[in-house]
Amino acid sequence: MRKTLALVRRELVAYFSSPLAYVILTAFLFFNGYVFWLIVAFLNDPRSQAMAPLKLFFGGTIFFWLFLLFMVPVITMRLLAEERRSGTLEVLLTSPVSEGQVVFGKFLAALLFYLFLWVPTLVYVLILATHSAIDPGPVAAGYLGILLLGILFAAVGLLTSALAKNQIVAAVFAFAVLVVLFSVGLLEQLVSTPWLKGALGYMNLWDHMDDFARGLVDTRHVVYQLSVAGLSLFLATKALEASKGR
Amino acid sequence: MIEVEGLSKRYVDKEAVANVSFFVPEGEVLGFLGPNGAGKTTTMRMITGYLEPTAGQVRVAGIDVARDPLAARAAIGYLPENVALYPEMRVEEYLRFRAAVEGVPRAEVKARIAEVSERCMVADVGRQLCGTLSKGYRQRVGLAGALIHRPKVLILDEPTIGLDPRQIVKIRELLRELGRDHTVILSTHILPEVEQVCRRVLIIDRGSIVADGTPEQLRAGLTGSSELTVEIEAPGDGVATALAALPGAAEVQQEGDGRYRVVVEAGVDLRRQVFQLAVARGWVLLGLAQSTPSLEDVFLRLTTRDVAAEEAAQVEEVGRA
Repeated sequence: MRKTLALVRRELVAYFSSPLAYVILTAFLFFNGYVFWLIVAFLNDPRSQAMAPLKLFFGGTIFFWLFLLFMVPVITMRLLAEERRSGTLEVLLTSPVSEGQVVFGKFLAALLFYLFLWVPTLVYVLILATHSAIDPGPVAAGYLGILLLGILFAAVGLLTSALAKNQIVAAVFAFAVLVVLFSVGLLEQLVSTPWLKGALGYMNLWDHMDDFARGLVDTRHVVYQLSVAGLSLFLATKALEASKGR
Repeated sequence: MIEVEGLSKRYVDKEAVANVSFFVPEGEVLGFLGPNGAGKTTTMRMITGYLEPTAGQVRVAGIDVARDPLAARAAIGYLPENVALYPEMRVEEYLRFRAAVEGVPRAEVKARIAEVSERCMVADVGRQLCGTLSKGYRQRVGLAGALIHRPKVLILDEPTIGLDPRQIVKIRELLRELGRDHTVILSTHILPEVEQVCRRVLIIDRGSIVADGTPEQLRAGLTGSSELTVEIEAPGDGVATALAALPGAAEVQQEGDGRYRVVVEAGVDLRRQVFQLAVARGWVLLGLAQSTPSLEDVFLRLTTRDVAAEEAAQVEEVGRA
């Protein structure tokens, strides 16, 4: 446990001492601020339908997905690929920590950084709360959805970072895998075979997030996202172990 | 302390290490010598468990590296060839990180950092970022990190490479000192280093051990002989015969006017006998010099391929083409 915490701490030090972290933070806030403003402006138009603004904010727009699909690979790309390139991985894997601990520590650090990005968005909730009543249930569920997506995306990003020799390759690879994971659910609209439609619907991340934003915590969504994340972390551990054969 | 048995590492196109076996008793400093690409780093990586061998096994402090990798890693302090530190961490932070990862008890961390910083002469850069350190400091910070959990075994891959001469002297002093309370394997291709630091030398070439012994044994034992150059002024020509008759003289060649080269069997010193012979016969002894081959000669003889033969083969090939 202490070893894992030491790894997490080191990773967080690395995040906050690189300019990349602040670029991501700034871009994220700028972008979310813009989306929030768009949503509020749109809903202020008397011709628009009545909707909860936070529901749109949590995954209701394509902006949310574009940014997430692009940003999480950038957060995770460095984690293992850079250690391998610089040679620090050799020191790490010859000290008494298991490959599983290394993977889990790095995953936890990436997830914490991701969650840190979302903390300022609580301000939007406060702003809305001062102007109207908000339903706390859907807001909490929305943030749960964001946590789950973070777990899923960070795990996939870590897996590609374990496989790639260089961080740019890791980022592009992660982006590609995440786009497939994201868009496979959208194919639901295009097929008519019932079982395939059902299966694709089960994997539809947009629908999952939509449910969470409406305050609906469906355990099937939770199980799907956590199991894909678990599989990715398991494979990342195996990839690290297999690199010893080289 | 370190037992290596039938260790092999095969890659698709070549065998990097082929059936290497050796034993290092507790408290020994073993020098791993070999030309670049001989398999030194591969062997050391397999001892630390960073690489999995294709065949064979390694036991460190009685622990099978393949069966219980975490316990084995805890017993080893490892300094890889290219010392890699995290550039964004301060030296103290890095050592604290290493201490936690290596499992140093929390209460002892501070004292250990002070101890290894002093020992490796890095206390003065504790607040500096690892990314801004010079090569010599990086090497020593890496070594400090490898020592922080007081490992029984130290594996050091070319610890003095890239250092300036003064730093090399300092690191060698440190290595000698470490040899007193650790079992050490260090690789190098610098020969004087081996003579100064190591009590035993393994020479490895193209993945196989070609020599094993103390530096003295290697020098004497492997070539089997030393040489005497004798200059004698004598009236007649019975000198060569008389020298050859001395017990221990293997071969005598006359090299010029009154100069003789005597090949002497291993472990024999003929200088006294030569002097007494000259006195007894009334010859004038003008010169007497003994030469043992240097470790460098041994190394070159063992690891140099038959260059002439290779060149001849090449010429032949070119001719055919």
